[in-house]
Amino acid sequence: MDRRHFLRSLAATGAAAGATATAGCAGVLGESGPEGTILGPPDIDLSEASHPSYGEEMPDFTVPDPIAGEEITVSEFEGERAVLWTSFYTHCPDGVCPALILRLRRAQEVAAEEGFGDEAAFLPITFDPERDTEEVLREYADQQGVDLDAGNWHFLRPETYERAQEIHDEKFGLVIEKQPADDIENLEYRFPHYGLIILANKQGIVERAYPRGPQTDIERLVDDFRRVVTA
Amino acid sequence: MRRRHLLAGLASVGVLGGAGAVATGGIPDAVGGGDAPEPVEPVTLDTVDAPGSRDGEVTLPAPDRPTFVDFFATWCSPCVEQMPDLAEAHDRLGDEVLFVSVTPEDVGGSVSEETVVDWWRENDGDWLVAADVTTALAARLNVGGYPSARAIDASGRVRWATSGTHTTEELVEGIERALDR
Repeated sequence: MDRRHFLRSLAATGAAAGATATAGCAGVLGESGPEGTILGPPDIDLSEASHPSYGEEMPDFTVPDPIAGEEITVSEFEGERAVLWTSFYTHCPDGVCPALILRLRRAQEVAAEEGFGDEAAFLPITFDPERDTEEVLREYADQQGVDLDAGNWHFLRPETYERAQEIHDEKFGLVIEKQPADDIENLEYRFPHYGLIILANKQGIVERAYPRGPQTDIERLVDDFRRVVTA
Repeated sequence: MRRRHLLAGLASVGVLGGAGAVATGGIPDAVGGGDAPEPVEPVTLDTVDAPGSRDGEVTLPAPDRPTFVDFFATWCSPCVEQMPDLAEAHDRLGDEVLFVSVTPEDVGGSVSEETVVDWWRENDGDWLVAADVTTALAARLNVGGYPSARAIDASGRVRWATSGTHTTEELVEGIERALDR
């Protein structure tokens, strides 16, 4: 945690200092961008948000991918793959989650078409492991048109609901709590949640946080993603 | 990293979620509301051999006439609820627009064509159905949930963009925004 806090304060300082000097180079590709980023600063400054944002370190944690039967450690992708992360649950009754998954799926499709699928990792994490078993996640992948065979898509399933809450709260600043869903047929509980998508570069630095993930313009997100992966 | 921002965000999602209980994705869409939207670059999709539809291809939006696109999925239950209203809207305006339902599912891959045809038949679909297996069209039209609808004028500009279920009247009104009259 110390290292992360350090990087965060460093990032904040960097952003403040950079504001005076980098106006002319926003969006320029290269390793000399602010805080090791490829993209220029986002239009909207999210550095005060509860979740990780531009220039901060991508949170690190280890969680099983039950379909691949392996443990995934986010930091292990550093140096090899850019990461597109979101959090979801398959019983999502309001369409927010399919909209999030669609955005990752489109990026996966474009990566395959343009030949950089091996340089990207798609990491949607469920906060409802009690219902989102391996079988349910597999079925969801088929339903949502995800390509599990590409080897770059990992549904992350924390061992317990409590562990899922802990990761979301401590790593992403997102509080997850079950709420009754009496108004929805065949649903015992639901989760009001934040539709967040995060794009991190191959050095594990966050390039973009899309806090209104379900509404994020798909082509713009894919364009950001392409620039970060192929830089 | 301020907790109160997070809670504010959560609250608004909660409100949205509650309002959207009847519809998959009660998310208002930014697309199409503007004064002079850019024309959408057309995408060619495979069509499905189903009642009212045919095996072949379709280019969307149509290059020379208004287009109405309904995004649905066979797993989406609000889409089932909306089918009678779509059918009625099709009866009224099917001659004036290219009227098409599009699924983003991996038809022919993880979802069989038969699944789509069966769903279509069970829900009395009787117009063109196409499969957006690469989600290229969904990306271009920025789909945020299912069902979603887009009415596009003859010049390829989105004139109505919405998600969630709608009544026949709402659908007809939305489609009419894309008609030249």
